[in-house]
Amino acid sequence: MSFDVLFSQFMSGIARGALLFLVASGLSLTFGVLRVLNFAHGSLYMLGAFLSYSIWKFLLMPVLGFYLAAVIAALIMGGVGMIIEFGLLRRLYARGWPEQLLATYAIILIITDLVKWAWGGEFLSIPRPRPFTGAVFLFGFPFPSYNFFIIILGLGLVVFLWWLVYKTRLGDIIRAAAQDREMVSALGIPIPWLFTWIFVLGAAIAGLSGAVTAPFGSVALGMDIEIIIECFAVVVIGGMGSLPGTLLGAFIVGQVYAFGILFKPELALAFIFMVMAVVLIIRPWGIFGRPER
Amino acid sequence: MEDHHIEGKDSWIKRGWWLILLIIASFLAPTVLSEFYLSVLCEALVMSLMALSFNFLFGYMGQLSFGQAAFYGLGGYTVAMLLTKAHFNFWLSIVAAVLVAALVGLVVGIFCVRLRGIYFAILTLAFGQLIFTIVFKWHNFTGGDDGIQGVFPPELLKSPIAYYYFILLVFLVSAFILWKIIHSPFGHTVVAMRENSERTEFLGIHIAKYQLIAFVIAAAFCGLAGAIWVPFYRSVAPSYLTWIKSGEPVMAAILGGPPIFLGPILGMFVMTFFHAWVLGFTVYWPVVMGALILAIIFFLPGGILGFAQEKVRQRKERNHQLQKK
Repeated sequence: MSFDVLFSQFMSGIARGALLFLVASGLSLTFGVLRVLNFAHGSLYMLGAFLSYSIWKFLLMPVLGFYLAAVIAALIMGGVGMIIEFGLLRRLYARGWPEQLLATYAIILIITDLVKWAWGGEFLSIPRPRPFTGAVFLFGFPFPSYNFFIIILGLGLVVFLWWLVYKTRLGDIIRAAAQDREMVSALGIPIPWLFTWIFVLGAAIAGLSGAVTAPFGSVALGMDIEIIIECFAVVVIGGMGSLPGTLLGAFIVGQVYAFGILFKPELALAFIFMVMAVVLIIRPWGIFGRPER
Repeated sequence: MEDHHIEGKDSWIKRGWWLILLIIASFLAPTVLSEFYLSVLCEALVMSLMALSFNFLFGYMGQLSFGQAAFYGLGGYTVAMLLTKAHFNFWLSIVAAVLVAALVGLVVGIFCVRLRGIYFAILTLAFGQLIFTIVFKWHNFTGGDDGIQGVFPPELLKSPIAYYYFILLVFLVSAFILWKIIHSPFGHTVVAMRENSERTEFLGIHIAKYQLIAFVIAAAFCGLAGAIWVPFYRSVAPSYLTWIKSGEPVMAAILGGPPIFLGPILGMFVMTFFHAWVLGFTVYWPVVMGALILAIIFFLPGGILGFAQEKVRQRKERNHQLQKK
C-alpha cells in the first residue's frame, strides 16, 4: 500500500471524524448534563439536513444560500429541541431511564414519518458551496476542499464548546450540574432552564451538522440511524458526557472507518464495533468518562 | 412467608380459570375469525413470544436490550435459507434457527453482560445494527434488501389454520418453559441480580455467567419466534432485523407492564391488532406508534396490567380499612 493511499484515507478519516464530532458533541453534551441519552439525536440531524435542503431551494441564492440555509436549519432545530425538552423530556426526569429512552425512541418514529411524509423517500443533495467546490492539494495530493470545510467547522465547534464549558460562568454551572445537580439547584440556579438550553444547543448543533452533510449527497431516510450508531460508538469509546472524550472517540471512529473501508467495505461498521467492544471491556465508562455511581 | 405462599396458590387457582378459558378460546379462534384476523392473531402470538423473551431480560433481569430483532431476524433467515437453498427438513430447520440465534446470542452476550443500564441498551443496539448491516450488505448470501421469498412450510402445515395451531402450540409451550425458568431457582437469582447486584455477588453468584445464560435463553426464544413466523409469511426481509422491530417488544412490555409475566403478551396483542386496524386507513404506522408510546409513558405509567393491579390493590386496601372500622 502506497503512501498516497494511506494518506488520503487518513485525511478522509479526519473529515469523517470531524463530522462525527459535530453530531456526537451534542449527544454527549446532552447526556453529560441531562443524564438522558437522546436516541432521537440522529433524527434531529436528519431533520436538519432535510430542512436545509428545502430552505436552500427556497432561497435560490448562489453563494450565501447554503450557509444561510444551514444556519436557519440549525435555529429551527433549536426550536424543535425546545419543544421536545419542554413538552416531553422535562416531565420524564423523575422517571427511570428506560422510559426516557423509549420516549426519545418515540420521537424517532414520529420524525421519520414526518420526513417521509414531507420529503418522500428519495435521495436529495445540495451542490458543494463556493468556495469549497474544488480540490485542495496537500503534499501534492488532491483532496475535496469541502472536507476541509467540515474539518474547520469541527475544529471551530471544539473551540466553541471548550470555551463554553471551561471558560464561561455558564460552563461552570454546566460542569457543576453534571457532577451534582441538587447542589447546583440548591445554590439558586434554575436547573430546568439550564436543561432546556443545553438540549436546545444540542439540537441546534445536530441540525447544523445535518445541514452541512447535504453536499455529501446523502440526505435520505435512514441517515439518522446510520449516524446515531456511530455516534454511540464515539461517545462510548471516548466516555459519555466528556468533551475531550468525544473528540478522541470521533477521531478513532473516523480513522477506523476510513481504513476499514479500504480493507473490507462491508465490515467497516464491524471494525468500529470491535474497537468499541474492546474499550467497553477494558474501561466500560470510556477513555475519558467517569464510572457511574 | 408461609401465608404469602398459600395466598399465591389460592390466587393461582382463581387466576387459572380465565387462563384456561383464554387457551380454549384461542383453540377455537379459527372457527370464528376471518383469514385476515387469523393471520393477525398469528403475528400477535409470534411477536408475543419475542416480547416474552425480551421481557425475561427487561422485566426480570432489569436489562433493556434494544437488539432483540437481530435474533428474531437470524432465526427467520436461518429457516428461510435452509428451506429454500438447502431444501432442509422443516423441523430441523427450526431447531437449527434456534441454535444459530442462541450461538450468536452467546457471542454478543459475552460483551453485553458486562454492562448495565444505558450502556447495555447501546451495545445491544449496536450489535443488532451490525448484524442487520451484515445481512443487508451480504447480497449474494442473504439476498440483501430483496430478502428471500418462497419459504414454504411442509404439506402438513400448508393451510393457515394448521399453521395457526402450530404457532399456538409453540407459543404455549415456550411461554410455559419461560414461566418455569422465571420461577426456578435460576430465575430467582436473575431477579435478585436486578434487585441488588452487589449483594447477589457477595452470595457467591457469578453475575456475568447468569446474565449470559439469560441472554442466550432470550436470544434462542427470539430466534424461535422468527423461525416460526417466516414460513407462515412465506418470505423474510432485512427489515426484520431493524431497530424499529427491536423497539416493538420494548413497547409491548411497557404497554402491558414489565414486572408482570403476561404483561408483554397483552401489550403485543393490543399493539398488533391496533396496527392491523390502523393500516386500514393510513400507511404512517410509526407515527401512530410513536404517539402511542408517549401516551403510555405519560398517562399509563406501569402499563395496562400494572395500572389494573394498582387499582385492585387500592380497592383491597380500602375494603380492608372499611372492615377495620
